[in-house]
Amino acid sequence: MKKFLALMLAASMSLSLAACSTSGTSSVTTAEKAGESTAAAATAATTAEPREAELNVMMSFPQYMDQWETYCQQFEAKMLAEENIKVKVNLEMPSSDQYENVLQARLSSGDAPDLYTLHCNLIPTYYKAGNLTDLSNEELAGKIYDNVKATVTRDGKLLAVPIESQAWGILYNKDIFEKCGLTPPETLDDLKNICSVLKENGYTPFLLAYQEQWVPQLMTALTLGGKVSGEIPDWVDRMYSDSGSYEEVRDIFGPIDLIMQNGTDRAMEEGSEAGSADFANGKAAMYLQGTWASNTIMTANPDMKLGVFALPINNNKDCTKVNLSTSTTLAVYPGTKEMDLALKFANYVLDDKDSSALFQACSFNPIASCHTYEASSWVADASAYVAAGRAYQDLVLPQAVTDEQGKLLQEYYVGSITQDEFISQMDSVFKEANKQA
Amino acid sequence: MTLFHGRTGTEVVSLKKPGKENISLILFALPAFIVYALFKLFPAVSGIYYAMTNWNGINNAGKSYDFIGLDNFIEIMSDKYYWKSILFTMKYVLVMIIVVNIAALVLAVAIESRKRMKGIFRTIFFMPNMISMIIGGYMWMFVFTKVLYYMADNWGISFFDKSWIGDPQYAFIAIIIVASWGAVGYLMIIYMAALQGVPVNLKEAASLDGANAWQSFWHVSLPLIQNAVTICVFWTLNSAFQVFDVVYALTGGGPGRATQTVAINIYEEAFRGNIRYGYATAKSTMLFFIVFVITLIQLRVMKRKEQEL
Repeated sequence: MKKFLALMLAASMSLSLAACSTSGTSSVTTAEKAGESTAAAATAATTAEPREAELNVMMSFPQYMDQWETYCQQFEAKMLAEENIKVKVNLEMPSSDQYENVLQARLSSGDAPDLYTLHCNLIPTYYKAGNLTDLSNEELAGKIYDNVKATVTRDGKLLAVPIESQAWGILYNKDIFEKCGLTPPETLDDLKNICSVLKENGYTPFLLAYQEQWVPQLMTALTLGGKVSGEIPDWVDRMYSDSGSYEEVRDIFGPIDLIMQNGTDRAMEEGSEAGSADFANGKAAMYLQGTWASNTIMTANPDMKLGVFALPINNNKDCTKVNLSTSTTLAVYPGTKEMDLALKFANYVLDDKDSSALFQACSFNPIASCHTYEASSWVADASAYVAAGRAYQDLVLPQAVTDEQGKLLQEYYVGSITQDEFISQMDSVFKEANKQA
Repeated sequence: MTLFHGRTGTEVVSLKKPGKENISLILFALPAFIVYALFKLFPAVSGIYYAMTNWNGINNAGKSYDFIGLDNFIEIMSDKYYWKSILFTMKYVLVMIIVVNIAALVLAVAIESRKRMKGIFRTIFFMPNMISMIIGGYMWMFVFTKVLYYMADNWGISFFDKSWIGDPQYAFIAIIIVASWGAVGYLMIIYMAALQGVPVNLKEAASLDGANAWQSFWHVSLPLIQNAVTICVFWTLNSAFQVFDVVYALTGGGPGRATQTVAINIYEEAFRGNIRYGYATAKSTMLFFIVFVITLIQLRVMKRKEQEL
């Protein structure tokens, strides 16, 4: 009996091992390991024997997993039909807060993916380390809009394919604004007025979701951007050369204090996804968050009327602008063994026929001449600001500085530090980052 | 060949060449030793080398870093956030040792003294230990950010309406609750095993002499499980110093750096901010020395108490 049991156990374990090793499509959105996607290759009957190849693509879009998996399958079919190459695209999607660690580990261990997404602000660092391929001579280069192309170009070279480019400011609930008879503000005083009107009508002005450190950091991204582009355009350069100070931008605490004092309770216990869902369900009228959250918001409440306005910093209208930034870009690793195929994939991302469908499915802004789809309401709102010249390029600050801003704003919110301490601490962190660079 | 006379006087055991027995013993331990050496010893030793470089995790194309000797260690001395995190970790360790060991001991005594259903209670209290603390952290985060507030808002238990993640004081309490929830089961098992080793006749003798339950425990059982107490305190000290998963899942070190333990400080130095692998490795080496010294002291003190028996 015992022998029989042992045999059955061994058999069932080896069977389950075999089952795990067979490939199949699976969408795993765990917070830890990547989910691999292998699509069955197109069963086109070809006379010649197709060349087999594998392409490793690593992306930080777990929320758009389905759309990108479909797109990779389309690419595989296209490669088989046009180039007679049987490609297996291994798509990995670590969660966004783990993504950088995973990417760095892969790059430093010599197991780099052939293509990988990269946040636009990291392009200078990765360029210096030699991890980016020059794409200036590729087909896609000519299609990208000029102001978007500028965000991914260094030394005159196009270093990555922009994917997520957005103009963002403050998200607001158009229904609530209509009910209270409000219009987007131009100055800080307008914003203060909006807050008091909202409160009189029983609405909470701002939704606060500060559990994850990158969300408070958005406040400095917007406020510094507006203040610097409107009044002190050389501030960033001077900070990089250790001759500037956060004292010059103390104005940013005007809107920051206003937001923190007129927001929802229990901000430290609210994560960003929960915040987006609560905002979609009307818990507050305004939400300082990028348009990348629109997917979550519209899923939580498909009837939501979402708008965008630029955050005023003070009473100077020149500082009220939207932040135009490219967040996620796609880079090609120079040391890839499948350079041709990788470049083809990069070009396919902005393919004349298929790219529009992908970008529309992910609610990305149109960024190239091949994009012919109609933009959603919040994209249209923000683009109006851009068209009127009321936009600035997202400031490129060292990673350590943006991390520290998020941490210190959390401490500022709970009252552990003062404005003066914030300013002196940020100054020393910036100097330290300059030293380390 | 040596002859060994056993107690009966008639046994003769001949020892073969001493080498052969030792060789088979070594062979048995070899696989485990290889794994240990490869995955624990080698990284630790090579870490000490990297601790003396300025390796920056991004310039990896040519693995370009310079050997800078003890500069990193000198910089650590003036790194205020590192020492703050060490202080916070020590505070956490102290509270954990007391809370977890007392709770485990109380549970062990309570379950041991039951006549029936020992197994079920043992399983129930051990289960949290089987859950990875990251998962446990996220579970408890749901409790602290949704469940408690629901109870506070709808059932009027205003005691729960605190900022469990945002307020540094309450965040500390939350971390202690979750960490001890996870660790108590493990220590409880050890204490139960030790309690089972206390001879029953000693306890009966004590009760015959008129000792009540508490006196019997304090004067009879406790001295006899002293070596279990040493082990448990040592284990708690060691693992509490390295705490990462609970804090990372619950507060991420926040708000700001209010609940940043030393492991999180090192993690952020290496993987966030300026991505300074060399400097972070130096910090880890420093942590190793600190824990080493503290553990030596703790073991020496408690071993002395053990020998009194």
